[in-house]
Amino acid sequence: MDGNFISHLLSASLPPGFPFWGLALLAAFLGALCVVGFVSILALVSVWLERKIAGHIQARLGPMRTGGWHGWSQTLADAIKLLTKEDVILRGADPVLFRLAPALVMGSALAMFAVLPFAPGVQFADIDLGVYFLLAVASLTTIGVIMAGWGSNNKWSLYGAMREAAQATSYEIPLALSLIPPILHFGTFSLLSATEQQSGWGGMQWYIFSDAFWVAIPSFFLFFTAALAENKRAPFDLPESESELVAGFHTEYSGLRFAFFFLEEYAAMFAASAVATAYWLGGWNFPGMTFLSTGSLWLPILGALAFLLKAMFLVCVMIWIRWTLPRLRIDQVMTLGWKYLTPLALGIMVAAAGWEAWRASL
Amino acid sequence: MGLTPSFAQAPGSEVEVAVPTQDCSINMGPQHPATHGVMRLLLKADGEVLTGAQAHLGYLHRCAEKIGENVDWTQYLPYTDRYDYLSAMNNNLGYSLAVEKLMGLEVPERAQWMRVLLAELNRIASHLFAVGTYGLDLGAFTPLFYTLREREEILDLFQEICGARLTCTFIRPGGLFNDAPEGWLEKVESFLCRFEERWKEYDALLLRNKIFIERTAGIGTLSGNDAVTWGVTGPLLRASGVDWDLRRDQPYLVYDQLDFEVPLGVGRQGEVGDCWDRTEVRMSEMLASLSMIRQCLDKMPDGAIQHPDAGPVLRPAPGRAYVGVENPRGELGHWLVSDGTKHPVRVRMRSPSFCNLSVVEHLLPGAMLGDAAAILGSIDIVVGETDR
Amino acid sequence: MTSSAFSRWWRNLSDGVISTARGMRITLRTFLRKPVTVQYPDEKPDLGGRYRGIHYLEQDLCIYCDACAKACPVDCIEMDATRHGKELEWHAFTLDYNRCMLCELCVYPCPKDCIHQGEEYALVTEDREDMVRDLLTWKGLTEEQKQKVAEVEALKAQRAAGGGE
Repeated sequence: MDGNFISHLLSASLPPGFPFWGLALLAAFLGALCVVGFVSILALVSVWLERKIAGHIQARLGPMRTGGWHGWSQTLADAIKLLTKEDVILRGADPVLFRLAPALVMGSALAMFAVLPFAPGVQFADIDLGVYFLLAVASLTTIGVIMAGWGSNNKWSLYGAMREAAQATSYEIPLALSLIPPILHFGTFSLLSATEQQSGWGGMQWYIFSDAFWVAIPSFFLFFTAALAENKRAPFDLPESESELVAGFHTEYSGLRFAFFFLEEYAAMFAASAVATAYWLGGWNFPGMTFLSTGSLWLPILGALAFLLKAMFLVCVMIWIRWTLPRLRIDQVMTLGWKYLTPLALGIMVAAAGWEAWRASL
Repeated sequence: MGLTPSFAQAPGSEVEVAVPTQDCSINMGPQHPATHGVMRLLLKADGEVLTGAQAHLGYLHRCAEKIGENVDWTQYLPYTDRYDYLSAMNNNLGYSLAVEKLMGLEVPERAQWMRVLLAELNRIASHLFAVGTYGLDLGAFTPLFYTLREREEILDLFQEICGARLTCTFIRPGGLFNDAPEGWLEKVESFLCRFEERWKEYDALLLRNKIFIERTAGIGTLSGNDAVTWGVTGPLLRASGVDWDLRRDQPYLVYDQLDFEVPLGVGRQGEVGDCWDRTEVRMSEMLASLSMIRQCLDKMPDGAIQHPDAGPVLRPAPGRAYVGVENPRGELGHWLVSDGTKHPVRVRMRSPSFCNLSVVEHLLPGAMLGDAAAILGSIDIVVGETDR
Repeated sequence: MTSSAFSRWWRNLSDGVISTARGMRITLRTFLRKPVTVQYPDEKPDLGGRYRGIHYLEQDLCIYCDACAKACPVDCIEMDATRHGKELEWHAFTLDYNRCMLCELCVYPCPKDCIHQGEEYALVTEDREDMVRDLLTWKGLTEEQKQKVAEVEALKAQRAAGGGE
């Protein structure tokens, strides 16, 4: 059970003699469709969740009307509204960059989903350098945001873009460094292989419960904090900081293009949570999975459910943090990144390396 | 030097690049989430650092002073609600006191105690909103909803006693329009008990939060001397360490019979007179108001609430009067001129927001762009009052 | 790094983590509590007895004295009636809610205590003209009034006739 399950399905159903490149293209196309559909639904659910959680945290209810039960279709209605809105491009805006930016941002967010191991056998591509690919693709959003800010011909947007440039490049370092302890522990860059190594103890041999828990837990918190900053979530939402920069880099966007930025934020939140889940929280492994036989259809279904639940829990924590904390100032964001998170991540990396070396020497 | 970079290169020396830079002018407002209304700040910025700031006013000008010359003395009351719409009771009170000074009226004792009670309740409501929106300016949404929750209870109390929530028109020259309904004072008492608990929540959630402290401590520091020079009043002045409160230093109504503390900024987190101190002074003033309301409830006498001579149409004797009262935002002064007819000759306000706002030109240069919202929010302006 | 700088570094870090955790505890507590909001169109808030909403007039008490119109700061009350001796033939008593501030200043000077502010507050309309409301419950003369007027007229006519003789 490795690699692209869609190509497995296709090769079984297509007539023999179908050219290999055609199969690959078809599989890629179908896979992309699946990701787009999945991400859209995920974003709709996350936005609804964010509104409901924000509402209840603020002693109110959040959306209650659209669709009946607790306003479940509010975000759907909003999405339809955004799709039908006029697409405004300012005179003086850079037409190419302005149009390209949302596509780049959205594309990179979708590409992250290619390597996420949702369940046994449900992963679009198991790349050897899975995490490396993820980090590389995630930094593409930064370029998209800078393009959007520059292309908008608006000073507030430009400020947002410059902040994003400074912030994202700074936080990629602690983000990558905090990933090193699990990489050392599992000895692999592949998310799939890391997840499979956590299936022991009846599905509870997660990295944070392993013998290296004392480096696993701080590195998890570091990763989570750096991921918050990387995804422009409060308290690090400087690039769009509503009360300072109006809406930052997407001030001038409307309609579908704005929806792309919106979607990207939630997709990236989920992707970061999914990486944390795969490396620290055992991925799809859940207690009791040993009772299922390896070929059982229940394994991928329950596994995917466990993975989604863990990742969504982290997304909810991100939402919870957003509705609790004030926003940092840009220089404080940089201070936190360079003077606190980076040294801490380096220290933990050294500790993890020492621990793994000691364990290997036993 | 033109706009192109000039390269001065000498053999053996480092390359020196002189790039001429230009400050960026940004319009903060009139449609901006942090200007608390329709106001425009023209900022000059060198990157993230501000080099200049100019406030442009008048987007909400409603001729409040000119209207005063065209209506009766009593008819002007609803307009006083509307310049500082977050502290209508205090505005009513300031205007009424000035008219009473012109007429030489002595207000019945129960009305005086009720006035103090209402003014202090309104002060709590106003400070709640100020602290909540200040959190919003710094990116913390939730404290605003918590403070609004308690403010709502005060507004419900107002609605019960005068029928309106924001535009009260309740304190009038000569007393009050109405007495408190049955059981109202007990409701105030029970609200105060709840409020004391909730106050701790805002304190822990917002004021003691590390990020909040980082954002406000040492930011926008206004020294006591500068504060006096710029004519700043209210919590801003006291946060700068100047011990001046009209309620204690020029007592009106029954404030001299009340025992209360005037909180001052002490620079606990940063310097004296920084944004954190201002917020802290507002928070402490809420507790001071709370104790004042308790004393009012204890000492509330029975009796009339309206002076018998003050009918619907007033004709103060010719003359002029100035009365300043301590509004939640500072000293609200009313300067009234009468020629003995039923219309004022001149109604003039010294509005605290307007005077306090002038200090942004002094505070903003040198701060960062993110601090612009922090400093403006800590001044706590109401644009309805700056523009009138 | 000197020790004081390091202790400051450490204190900043721990302060940040602790105050964040404390804040998150408060928000979680509120999250688990019941919301305080009222689901407005379904649940109506309690307005209290003194709510200053849209006016209503006790027309049978009104004596057409214009005191409320004079007290109004924005001149939004206009009334028109014809006097038939003691009886009033009402034509109009309009309140222009485009201008009205709902300040209650018109209520206090009324000598008969016949104009009040009610609990209706929804002033929603698509046309500004609709904001001018007529507070009258009936216009012209009621049957009863007509009878009284007729009686008075008859008496007058009788008197006039008697005077002429």
